[in-house]
Amino acid sequence: MNKGEIIAGFLAPHPPHLVYSENPPQNEPESQGGWEELRWAYERARASLEELKPDVLLVHSPHWITEQGHHFLGVENLSGKSVDPIFPNLFRYGFDLNVDVELAEACCQEAADIGLNSKMMRNPKFRVDYGTITTLHMIRPQWDIPVVGISANNSPYYLQLDEGLEEMDRLGKATRAAIEKSGRRAVLLASNTFCHFHFSEEPEIPEDMSQEHPQNYEGYRWDMRMIGLLRKGHVDEFFEILPQFIEEAFAEVKSGAFTWMFSAMGYPKIPGELHGYGTVIGTGNPVMEWNLIKAGLATDIKNIQAA
Amino acid sequence: MTVVSAFMIPGSPLPYVQADNPPWGRLADAMKTAGESLAASKPDAIVVYSTSWFAVLDQLWQTKPHLKGVHVDENWHEYGELPFDIHIDTKLAEVAIQESNDAGIKSKGVNYDQFPIDTGTIVASNFLNPGNKLPLMITSNNLYHDWATTETLGQISAKAADRLGKKIAVVVIGRLSGAFYRHTINISEDKVVSEQDDQWNKKILDLLGQGATDVFLQTCPEYAEKAKVEMGFKHMAFLKGALGEQFQGGKVHAYEPIYGSGAAVIEF
Repeated sequence: MNKGEIIAGFLAPHPPHLVYSENPPQNEPESQGGWEELRWAYERARASLEELKPDVLLVHSPHWITEQGHHFLGVENLSGKSVDPIFPNLFRYGFDLNVDVELAEACCQEAADIGLNSKMMRNPKFRVDYGTITTLHMIRPQWDIPVVGISANNSPYYLQLDEGLEEMDRLGKATRAAIEKSGRRAVLLASNTFCHFHFSEEPEIPEDMSQEHPQNYEGYRWDMRMIGLLRKGHVDEFFEILPQFIEEAFAEVKSGAFTWMFSAMGYPKIPGELHGYGTVIGTGNPVMEWNLIKAGLATDIKNIQAA
Repeated sequence: MTVVSAFMIPGSPLPYVQADNPPWGRLADAMKTAGESLAASKPDAIVVYSTSWFAVLDQLWQTKPHLKGVHVDENWHEYGELPFDIHIDTKLAEVAIQESNDAGIKSKGVNYDQFPIDTGTIVASNFLNPGNKLPLMITSNNLYHDWATTETLGQISAKAADRLGKKIAVVVIGRLSGAFYRHTINISEDKVVSEQDDQWNKKILDLLGQGATDVFLQTCPEYAEKAKVEMGFKHMAFLKGALGEQFQGGKVHAYEPIYGSGAAVIEF
């Protein structure tokens, strides 16, 4: 068995508005479009994922909240209808996903081995959260790649911020170890928004884009500054000022998904590819990719096949 | 009198799914006792405010007439499932929505198949309304609402019932001290995480038991901060709003830990 590798990571935010505006058959409500720039960003991300041909997608979602430990989906197939509790008018989605239980168990065990409280979710009636589903739909609407779903323990909220992010760093390292031992070629998905200040009321027509813009200027400036650092590969500086960003822009990366992903990738100091940026009810949403194959940090599948 | 009884209970599923663990079992017994008191007060409907139903954009009110299904808790899935069968007093909810909008708190109903019902509401329904005999009016915890707004929502709920000539029981759902164990514990040895949290909980419960409501209300902000009370103790704000002048303290049926956090069953 070849050594497993993380071949890419995506910052893949999860506003349900993007699913709503795309009108896929799985979603009940119908729209007249909207948020096109973000959906086009995801189109580019989808094309890149197609080229990557991963064996598995791992997604960390801030909307599966678990107070006791880091949980992993542990049922081979999960299906049902996910209704967003905040935007039920936009997101009522029939999901049907396959889980890479073997890798999920390995991730869970590796996390436990380094002292993290971790747990498998084994109940087949479990309803998968809308953050996980939205990110997965937007990146791979075919639903043909097995998934490892990881909960948000929210340690950065409960502990001191630096302690909580340090725990997410450890979870990332555990995830990497499990992937390497599994032989899988994995893509990581951090389901996070950047600036998370949002409007308190919805327009009468949710997809009326004349109403869509950043909720506040300072938050927007923070997003541009942080995206700028990532596009240049200034990863150290990004993580140095991350706590201030979280504090001042109310950034959703506080939930830890982004730190988890970068830790798992080994904090590569490579330029991230910005597929696009857009606001959703005022929040800031970059869709970005770190392609470790292009950067020479992971093996191209063609080389493996040739060997 | 519109509000004929009122209760505060914890929203954790553990007393329901693991009642054979002594501390959680005592909470389960207390909630059954509370359910008997509630039934004896003969309300026409039960108004439920749950801190674990999060809303962000508006104040949400459940308006689907019948909710039935099985819920698996996001955190405690290994303990099993939570069945629910709930009827909604849609007329009462519609009036409350109107009253709320009139008061400047933007509100709307939710009437969707498979809309996620929060664990706390299911626990309350199953313990305090066995057999689904009474209809419920369920409203959400808007994360951006403060104590005053939440108290107004309690007032609005009672006012809506009064307009319809209905008697209501009020049930608010939330924890006391909010710190909990992050690691796996021997559940039979569960206790409140810190002595300080325990003392704070006991102090606040003593004030309620003595009927010292003025001191109690003055102490609530400090208590909420020092003991990290779930959602800033807004469940108490809702209850205070609904009871109004009837708020004169409460009888504590049980005070126990739930995985380190403080939990109490209180009858008002």
